[in-house]
Amino acid sequence: MAYTPQYYPGSTSVGINRRKHMSGNLEKLRDIPEADVTAIMGHRAPGADYSSTHPPLKEMGEPDCPVRQLVTPTAGAAAGDRVRYSQWTDSMYFAPAIPYWRSYWGAINCKGCDPGTLSGRQIIEARERDIEAYTKAQYDSEMTDVALCSMRGCTVHGHSLRLEENGMQFDMLARTEFGADGNVYATKDQVGIPLDKKINLGKPMTEAEAKKRTTIFRADGIPMCGKVGARKYDEAVEALHHMWELRSKWGFRPE
Amino acid sequence: MAVKHTKKLFIKALNKKFGKDFDLAGQKVEYKRLGPEQNARKREFMEYAKKLEGKRGMTGYNPYVHAGGIPMGQRQLVPYKLSSTEYVVEGDDLHFVNNPAMQQFWDDIRRTIVVGLDMAHEVLQKRLGKEVTPETINNYLEILNHAMPGAAVVQEHMVETHPGLVDDCNVRVFTGDDALADEIDDQYKIDINKLFPAEQAEALKAAIGKTSWQAIHIPTVVVRSCDGGTTSRWSAMQLCMTFIDAYNMCAGEAAVADLAYAAKHAAVLQMSEMLPARRARGPNNPGGLSFGFMADMVQTSRIKPDDPVYVSLNVVAAGSMMYDQIWLGSYMSGGVGFTQYATAAYTNDVLDDFSYYGVDYATDKFGGWAKAPALLETAKELATEVNAYGMEQYEEFPTLLEDHFGGSQRAAVLAAASGITSAIATGNSQVGLAGWYLSMLLHKEGWGRLGFFGYDLQDQCGPTNVFSYQSDEGAPLELRGANYPNYAMNVGHQGEYAGITSAAHAGRVDAFAVNPLIKVTFANPHLVFDWGNIRDCFGKGGAREFRAAGERSLVMPAV
Repeated sequence: MAYTPQYYPGSTSVGINRRKHMSGNLEKLRDIPEADVTAIMGHRAPGADYSSTHPPLKEMGEPDCPVRQLVTPTAGAAAGDRVRYSQWTDSMYFAPAIPYWRSYWGAINCKGCDPGTLSGRQIIEARERDIEAYTKAQYDSEMTDVALCSMRGCTVHGHSLRLEENGMQFDMLARTEFGADGNVYATKDQVGIPLDKKINLGKPMTEAEAKKRTTIFRADGIPMCGKVGARKYDEAVEALHHMWELRSKWGFRPE
Repeated sequence: MAVKHTKKLFIKALNKKFGKDFDLAGQKVEYKRLGPEQNARKREFMEYAKKLEGKRGMTGYNPYVHAGGIPMGQRQLVPYKLSSTEYVVEGDDLHFVNNPAMQQFWDDIRRTIVVGLDMAHEVLQKRLGKEVTPETINNYLEILNHAMPGAAVVQEHMVETHPGLVDDCNVRVFTGDDALADEIDDQYKIDINKLFPAEQAEALKAAIGKTSWQAIHIPTVVVRSCDGGTTSRWSAMQLCMTFIDAYNMCAGEAAVADLAYAAKHAAVLQMSEMLPARRARGPNNPGGLSFGFMADMVQTSRIKPDDPVYVSLNVVAAGSMMYDQIWLGSYMSGGVGFTQYATAAYTNDVLDDFSYYGVDYATDKFGGWAKAPALLETAKELATEVNAYGMEQYEEFPTLLEDHFGGSQRAAVLAAASGITSAIATGNSQVGLAGWYLSMLLHKEGWGRLGFFGYDLQDQCGPTNVFSYQSDEGAPLELRGANYPNYAMNVGHQGEYAGITSAAHAGRVDAFAVNPLIKVTFANPHLVFDWGNIRDCFGKGGAREFRAAGERSLVMPAV
């Protein structure tokens, strides 16, 4: 019998969405051209050769190693690409993704990547052609709303700030803008360098859709603990209590 | 018993920050992008930098080199209200470089050394046959308060320090022996009976017993030129010279070595431990300062013992500034970011609101402070409730979330409120620590984010060390400190741990947390920093109302 990972507890939409993110079984909402994703990432000009840090593995004469025989290298590793990154900032106002779940998605579904999780940003590093593919997957999927999520290599603050009046996440460097046609456009790359042309990222989610797809627990959405005076713990809290208690007791170890 | 506190204490501060009639609950706003000119302190910096341009002959402060020409101030640059005070200052005023009160706080610690008198008296009496009486002690203290600032005794043709540069230096004695204390001249005495509430005074005197101690504060200017490791050496030399003078000893006789050994080693209490070589600091430097000592240095417990939250939060303020801004932020890391983390814990009445909410909840449930059973179950209930309440406030008031715009800030405040509540409710710091870690895990679970790089070592692994008694990680929280293995780098933790330590004892209305000598030493009313009112004194520093010691203007040309 094939094993089906459980991933995460809970029957609320937040629990269901968290499981979806971890499983990688995500809905594709848009198709941003590869060249545009590459331009926004800002590591190489679209169409330019990949920089490499070593020759292709096939030319290197690898040592006789059982692990190397077991693990097929990613396309980027096989080619000797340098390691580059994409970093996302997700608004706490019902962005579909939250940092840990971008990391879990990466760690579970993407080979040869190194996710890093902070409060206001989430980074994945990988060989360049691999991270380009992983970034496009994030951009195109329901993990991302183009108004509430954006790629920011630096000066990332925005996740906890109030939204702009037009519903866009605040960005000090204004890397994206809300167009008169209702579409969101990328105007600068990850680190704030202006792009040669505006890139149409499509229409943002409505507030209702963002709330439906979000993975964040909030009192004004799906609460994790009910409300003051009317507490009701989500199954995730009960599981967490259990883990916390066991971790605490394990450290005691009175044997 | 606990006073019921009005909830949402932070609203007043938010109104001061964002404007009186501002919609604090709105999730959308027009960002005006007014730049640094919107802020008085940034304007002052820019104007001053312009004046310096010609003088320096090179470029300096210029906020327009920031982020490719987009300066700070794309959102509103808001001021900070020091919690539970009326002081509202700019964020810049809370960087320790701009705040002389914060500098004095640290100077007051590192220039302090506690030295026992009894060992020296035994040398004088038993080895030399000298008589020691209250009169000789008073005479000794008069000479010592001449010598300790850097003046000569015994030797001729000596250089000395200018009294105007070292006027903050003083030595006072204290003892648990009321009969001896009565004989000591008031000017040379820390009067436990006058300074502490009666029950605390009795507890302190019982702990100190018949022993007598010198609370020595060497000149600020000395430790600013040298460091905390200097303090025991500077004081020991002056103590020995004073004994020679006061008791008519031979300057070269072997008994002086006994006095020196007592003053430098055998009878000395440093404020903090020496650090291992990889951190390379001597004693009396901040990395070795235990949370228990920090809790005892802060004097709010004797000034407002009926409000354990207030007591604990003054310790949080002290510890956040000391451990985050000075120790981790400057000794260990560098840069200016750590101030932003630390201020969240002592400004805008946010931690106050969450903590009073928790302690009121616990009091209703368990009938008072230190009444709840010291169990994991207690931490589970209280930390879950307090953490949930706090997260809801951030969700209900987007301006509050924006004020604590970093996850590390929110993590510190939510976990501190959870830990302080659990500690006050049980009177047990370890249960408080358990509440801290549960809050961290709940916070991460709810919002899918936590602090710097997920706080994945310190907090997600943290529950395992709460009740550990393994040799390198098993100390009670009172005895842990900035150099405890898992605590050595993460900002936004150590001050709060000191606050949780204090909370356990404030809940029990204890006279001290771990060391009665530290508690009494910092009760000295002639310290420069105000050790009873930490947040107020930081506010004074920020408002440019505080006068620090160690200034050199007396011996320099006027500006």
